Amino acid sequence: MATLLDVNVVKYLCSCGKWEPLCRLYLCRHCQKLRSGDCVLHEVDSPYCPNCLENMPSSEAKLKKNRCTNCFDCPSCGHTLTTRATSQIVSDAEDPNKSTPKKMYYMACGFCRWTTRDVGISDKPVASGAWEDLENPHSRRIHSLLDFYHQVAQREKADKERKKYVRRRSHLIFAASMDKYGLTSVAAKRKSLLSSVSGISIKENEEVNICSLEPVEAVDDFESLPNSIFTDPLQLEKVSTISQRLASPEFQPAMATDLYPNHKHLLIRRSLRCKECEHNLSKPEFNPLSIKFKIQLIALNHVPEIRFLKPKELPFKKETKVVLTVCNPATYNTKLQLLPLEEETAVNNNTKTELPKKEIVLAPRDDSAIYDDNSQSQHGFKDDTSVVAFRKANKVGIFIKVTPLQQDEDAKVCFWLKHEYRNTTVALPNENQEPQIVWLQHKVVINLGPPHKTK
Amino acid sequence: MASTRNPTSVKIAPGAVVCDESEIFGDVTIATRTVVHPKAKIIAEAGPIIIGENNIIEELTQIVNRTTEKGGNQTVMIIGNNNVFEVGSYVESLKIGDHNVVEAKAHVGRQVELTSGCIIGAACSITSSEVMQENTVIYGADCSRRVQREKPPAQALQIDFLTKILPNYHYLKKPSKAATPQRT
Repeated sequence: MATLLDVNVVKYLCSCGKWEPLCRLYLCRHCQKLRSGDCVLHEVDSPYCPNCLENMPSSEAKLKKNRCTNCFDCPSCGHTLTTRATSQIVSDAEDPNKSTPKKMYYMACGFCRWTTRDVGISDKPVASGAWEDLENPHSRRIHSLLDFYHQVAQREKADKERKKYVRRRSHLIFAASMDKYGLTSVAAKRKSLLSSVSGISIKENEEVNICSLEPVEAVDDFESLPNSIFTDPLQLEKVSTISQRLASPEFQPAMATDLYPNHKHLLIRRSLRCKECEHNLSKPEFNPLSIKFKIQLIALNHVPEIRFLKPKELPFKKETKVVLTVCNPATYNTKLQLLPLEEETAVNNNTKTELPKKEIVLAPRDDSAIYDDNSQSQHGFKDDTSVVAFRKANKVGIFIKVTPLQQDEDAKVCFWLKHEYRNTTVALPNENQEPQIVWLQHKVVINLGPPHKTK
Repeated sequence: MASTRNPTSVKIAPGAVVCDESEIFGDVTIATRTVVHPKAKIIAEAGPIIIGENNIIEELTQIVNRTTEKGGNQTVMIIGNNNVFEVGSYVESLKIGDHNVVEAKAHVGRQVELTSGCIIGAACSITSSEVMQENTVIYGADCSRRVQREKPPAQALQIDFLTKILPNYHYLKKPSKAATPQRT
């Protein structure tokens, strides 16, 4: 199957107008449309550490600068550091002749073998938590800047609010001037109330406005580079690389001996939401240890997947039979039909294609069928052998006839895939209602590869 | 050169564990407490190979003293003590010091000299002509380099374990009586 290795040869048209392979698409069962990763809302569920799998609310993660407090990355290669234990002989304080072994811990990288001992960080008596962070030399400046911008943001917010009040007040005045409906008294009451409220907020703003910020002083002259830079040969092993420096932007160590373990970045669990109906398309379980989903509406579970057997040759301007295999993901019989496209599409349909005209029934998916060797004829479908190439469990092979019309570009086949879909969202479970069966239509394009040259 | 292709010239010191399934050709000397796993290949084509003490040579490792095209003079390949050659590594280096680690699937070329405490990372290929600085670590897909502070520790416990376990499941090549360790 060509499509197993290259998912991009068969593409479906997403509702946002993008061609995507089926495995990258979702099916919103409320809108009954295909959605791709680009046209859904990505929401942060919870940040978690990929190493210790501790999860935390986003506010806490923000306080920790989206980094894990306990796990570290190697400053040399970026791999996760592991804690190693060694025993050290510590002489007793009371009795100098007596010495006791004591467990000490250091961190080492399993990949590039960097250790905290390499840069002279002393071993710690506890396994975790004792690794203190370096003091950021610019933290005071950063904090004062943060405070300042916080105040600026507050002022702007207050300004906005004041404008809102002003507008509404004028509106009220307008209504009062009209005085058609005898609302003047009510309006006046509201007006006085509003003005009192806004008055307070304005007063607050004025206090906020008073803040000081030390302006940055421009530097005129630098210390010139030491002569050793020009005379001494460069020792590449002792200098850190650009990526090593940028891994800790606050220090940017220039020497390999100044590297310091970096806190591990947190990852996020995210859920996806349909932008139109605002239903969830994908929602993982809360626990980061779990790989299961509460809701997972990937299109592979609902829309029949099309693959094709690559024809031995595809001669130019000659009709060739190509076998498409269609796989039923549902646990019930699914009818499907391949329909030609009426209109011109964005993807050039550069072939003449003859599609089977009849409906084809797909057998249900049965997970135990792979263990059953002779399940070929158990469903007893009466197939037209000119259309159906083979049947196997929930798969069916369909012949289509393709004539490439362009010599120099890849032969592409476009058609509508129309299939049954049992919509379980509408039927309520307590009422003994049959699930609603709807027909869904998707545009599919298959890239058959370049046609062969004919003599 | 061709005359050295004689398995009888293999000298194994007492105390070394050399599995019978390993392939050793030519003039190879293996000192005491060195462990050679089954399916390791040590081929002395262009001259003798002398392997020191306390080395571990793991499965599918190839240590080759290869003849160059010119077929010039005999070359001697010397491997020191406490080295580890991990699974599937390929070593042609003529001079290897002590406490080096050649990780799995790594390739060390003929012109490279490993001094001491060097680590050639998994699947790294080094074929330049150089004398590796002490405690050099080569790692990653780009063969990045750094210099370590400490040598990798000797694998004494692992050697003890292997000398105990390997004879239970494998036939060993017998140590030659006249053999004396060439290097200590």
